[in-house]
Amino acid sequence: MNEKKLGLPSAIATGVGLIVATSCLMSLGQGTSVLGTGFILSMALACAINILTALSMAELNALMPNLTGGLAQYTLAGMGPFITILTMVGGYLVCQAIAGSVESAMFGNAINSVFNTGIPSWVFSVAMVLLLIFANMRGVDIFAKIQDVVAFLLIGSLTVMGLIGTLGLGTGETVAQASNTAGSFSDIFGMLGLAFFLFIGCEFVIPISKSVKNERRNVPLGMVLSLVIILAMQILIVIGMTKYVSYEELGASASPHILYGNALLGSLGSYWMIFVSALAVISTVNSAMSSFSFMCAGMAKINLLPAFFLKKNKTEAYYVGILIIGGLEIAANIVGLSTSDSLTFMISVAIVFWMVSYIVSNINVVIFRIRMPKAPRTFKVPFGPVLPIVAAVGTAFMIWNIDGNPAVRNSIFLIDGIIFVILAVYSVIWCKVRVKKALFKPIPVPEVMAMENSLYLIAHKKIEIHDNKEETYYGLSKG
Amino acid sequence: MEFLKVEVITSMDKLSSLKTALSKLGVSGMTVLQALGCGVQKGTFEYEAQQNPEMELLPKQLIMIVVEERIIDKVIETIKKELYTGHIGDGKIFVSPLSNIIRVRTGEEGLDALK
Repeated sequence: MNEKKLGLPSAIATGVGLIVATSCLMSLGQGTSVLGTGFILSMALACAINILTALSMAELNALMPNLTGGLAQYTLAGMGPFITILTMVGGYLVCQAIAGSVESAMFGNAINSVFNTGIPSWVFSVAMVLLLIFANMRGVDIFAKIQDVVAFLLIGSLTVMGLIGTLGLGTGETVAQASNTAGSFSDIFGMLGLAFFLFIGCEFVIPISKSVKNERRNVPLGMVLSLVIILAMQILIVIGMTKYVSYEELGASASPHILYGNALLGSLGSYWMIFVSALAVISTVNSAMSSFSFMCAGMAKINLLPAFFLKKNKTEAYYVGILIIGGLEIAANIVGLSTSDSLTFMISVAIVFWMVSYIVSNINVVIFRIRMPKAPRTFKVPFGPVLPIVAAVGTAFMIWNIDGNPAVRNSIFLIDGIIFVILAVYSVIWCKVRVKKALFKPIPVPEVMAMENSLYLIAHKKIEIHDNKEETYYGLSKG
Repeated sequence: MEFLKVEVITSMDKLSSLKTALSKLGVSGMTVLQALGCGVQKGTFEYEAQQNPEMELLPKQLIMIVVEERIIDKVIETIKKELYTGHIGDGKIFVSPLSNIIRVRTGEEGLDALK
């Protein structure tokens, strides 16, 4: 009868596999090129704040277990439909779309950095996205099955590469340069935004919680340990990079992991890294495409997105979401995401949305502590509301320090601001026309939980139609 | 009062995990009855838009245990956490005093009959 199979190691494995993506290596290279080993402090700070956020998410999951829409449903119950659509539906999905585009751009860059094909990098990226659209539309999920293996191959390879570099065992020549180039704390804080990107995604562990043994202990612990393991691996890579790659080259590279592999072990290192990272990119972009379509469908189910996201094709794939994310990724790559500068910029633009959704999640924990103090929670963040508040403030601080250059920071805020305004307009219209509920009035937890049921929308639509008919009838008879 | 009666009315699918958790706490006996019933929602399914005008009885289970007063808080907390899903229909817990317990076979009374 006991269906729960996954132990703590599996929870950690899933967490690590979901958090690490090759686009993280881009941030790692950029951060190291600016601060050297000083970037380790930025990473440690970002990791600590993300650990606190992971604990908050574990508490939210304990309070509202097994929800498919994730952060959106917690916010709907915590802050009402307007904030939910603004930060979770719009913001989170926009962020997913940008992150997916960056990840796919890494594919073309990786190929060209080793093979020098003469073909623009975006052609490879677009071809890969098209292939994955086709596979997802056919309901084929080959890469999802090998995702854990691929992620481990990537993480194992990076750890080994990091160790070789840290211990100075590489066959390439070491570079004479200062290991730490951070002069002050403001330098370190200026890189927090980039460092944050290395640790996002631990919330993706939550959907597997129902199949984890002793979930109240293993889910939060698994999320925290995943983040710590990733930090350890990335520290090794940073130290290795400072020894073997010049900061100028590192900063200019759009595929720093391949550059590092080459500097460390020559062409063997390059081929090793391209093989592993290409597999990882395909696997990540594929699962992002699939999960985007599922997330959109989940949000349509709770009436926060148009119902067309629930449409399925013959192979039971949510094709609208797949086509939208695929289209966005193709457009972003054709427009020119392939240079390292624009990739870093796009990452920064995207993670502001992600950070805002994390802040909102932390505030949700505090709201539920006040509103439902006696509700049983199988996991509760210790020390009252202190840690969620620290996490929210820490994340806000990271947003403020999204880039060390004030001009770049302002452009990031400008783009994010414009997107937020557009989302706010959509949110108001959608709340008035479709949700038909007060903008800031939270929806009771039982109702949000009920929305999970596929019959919820059908039952509520029937009532709406019935009410409209009655209104019309009443209007006629009155007339 | 040395011991208390705890009655739990809940849905049909949570018995196994609850049994395991209570065993770990040292609860030594349990009586389970299949029942029909409803609460304040009058048996309305949570996804439905309007409440039933009259009560609809749904399949439930009534779990009865008797525990020592000193562990009652732990027992209640465990039951709450085990039954909690956040959905309507998680159930209710009723705690009431007991004046005595008698084991028929030996004639033992009170706490002795409970152990």
